[in-house]
Amino acid sequence: MAVEVDHGAGVAIRGQAPPAYSPVSLRWVWPAGLFLFAFFLAPLVEIGLRSFEPSRGAEEVYWLVQYDRLLLDSFYLGVIGETIGLSLVTTIVSILIGYPVAYFLVRHAGRWHGMIIFLLIAPLLTSIIMRTYGWQVLLARRGLINETLIDLGVIDTPMRWLNSPEAIVIGLVHVLVPFMVLSIAAVLQGIDTSLEESARSLGAGRLRTFWRVTLPLSLDGVGTGAILVFMLANGSFVTLLLLGGGSLQTLPLLIFQQFNTTRDFAFAAAMSNVLLVLAIACLYLQLRLIKRRGVVG
Amino acid sequence: MSKRTSTAPTGERQERIWLAIVVIAFFVFMLAPILIVVAVSFTEVDYVAFPIEGFSFRWFYRIIEYEPFLDALIVTIQVALLSTVLAGAIGVPAALALVRSRSRYAQALMTFLLSPLSMPMIVLGLGLLFYLSWLGLGISMTSLVIAHAVVGLPYITRTVAGVYRGVSRDLEESAAILGANRWQVFRRVTLPQIKPGIFAGAMFSILISVDNLPISYFFGSTDTDTLPVVMLSYLEHQFDPSIAALSTVQLILAVGGLLIVERFYGLRHMGAPA
Repeated sequence: MAVEVDHGAGVAIRGQAPPAYSPVSLRWVWPAGLFLFAFFLAPLVEIGLRSFEPSRGAEEVYWLVQYDRLLLDSFYLGVIGETIGLSLVTTIVSILIGYPVAYFLVRHAGRWHGMIIFLLIAPLLTSIIMRTYGWQVLLARRGLINETLIDLGVIDTPMRWLNSPEAIVIGLVHVLVPFMVLSIAAVLQGIDTSLEESARSLGAGRLRTFWRVTLPLSLDGVGTGAILVFMLANGSFVTLLLLGGGSLQTLPLLIFQQFNTTRDFAFAAAMSNVLLVLAIACLYLQLRLIKRRGVVG
Repeated sequence: MSKRTSTAPTGERQERIWLAIVVIAFFVFMLAPILIVVAVSFTEVDYVAFPIEGFSFRWFYRIIEYEPFLDALIVTIQVALLSTVLAGAIGVPAALALVRSRSRYAQALMTFLLSPLSMPMIVLGLGLLFYLSWLGLGISMTSLVIAHAVVGLPYITRTVAGVYRGVSRDLEESAAILGANRWQVFRRVTLPQIKPGIFAGAMFSILISVDNLPISYFFGSTDTDTLPVVMLSYLEHQFDPSIAALSTVQLILAVGGLLIVERFYGLRHMGAPA
């Protein structure tokens, strides 16, 4: 018979110290747990199942037919490659831009600290449409960037910025770099500056101290930020749709198009599954990183 | 490296100046596309150009008069509020239970509750569309609210858990020792202390819902189109300044919400999932 285990009872069985009092019982997790089970896990399983079906109208019965199309076709392999490649480039650019900003925020900001945090967070809450629209205006043929470059004499004729991979990377970095800055800053904050002072007093220069002491100690933050940015870049499609103009084909963009025009849902499901596997791999890395930091810190 | 190590103050000042230049450039990069949209929304002419020509509020009138925007705005607000209430009703108890639990599954359960944060939205949207259609809910307001609640739930759980972790048990224990029953302790002691967390979590959930495009898109129809969905399809056909005006209004509302969150909770907790 299932025993109704109340707070004290379960503990007595295991013979540990009694838990601290709490007005809340663990049973309160159930509604949220069941909700996610029904409307988060089940839909993902549904996608998994769909991806083993043949496309509508097709007669194939071979269960891996969608994955055959996706993983053995050079075009679609290219798409997967471009998805990962774009996310990698976005991540690297975000690290290069984000690190100095995070470093300044933690070590030099002083009374500007609150202001910088506000400026970092505020764009996160503007709509993705607004930011993409802003880049469309800025990068247009007769836009501010081209006009400025011509006025400065850097270029003679307007450059074609829009509908290029560069525009996509600019747009994605703009959306995602705050996550990188916050992740790196969180770790930098915890570094004991006396380690740096020791290095300096033992004769290391500023740069050397940075390379040999500060940077290695902050790599956890870079890692956390990189996984987060990579993960979010992998799933993005609005930026690609509005700034890319088809110059790059990625999985989310193709899923979007399959849904809109081709309506080949089984194939869209297979592509979603590939994205899902990438996301789960990232989640796994993220959890490992958090665990390791927990042990060290 | 060199003998100049002893002149630390100069090195430090140089470092600060260079970094400050980088940071200023960074914020120009971050703010330029936003400010330019705000500027464009006040233009007098029919096309999008910067610097703007003239100054007028005509595009703000235009978004009020253009019916799809207004309909979508109503849907957006309904979905944001309903999904947040749903997510809060199940997310707050779950967060409280997990923070105080000694169960060895607590950590795993928390990871599970936060995992929607890590899933690509477009995958979740497609999956939910298949699944809810299979359940017979299809493209409806109910589906939209459920889908948005899945996304909002982790934000509420995380925020409330963060606040409750910082709350000392002493008060709750004292109340219990003095004879309050569980419900009284919860109502009179626990709830007042976690209120800022609930409030801030709900605010995040609303803001995330209002901006959600990848999920809302799959559930779009004339009755269930949210603002981002309508804006996207508008952008695909026209490129006039009304989208700029609409974005400006949204920005003002979001910054207002942000200031309220900051007041009650602080922004530090908003960054990367912990």
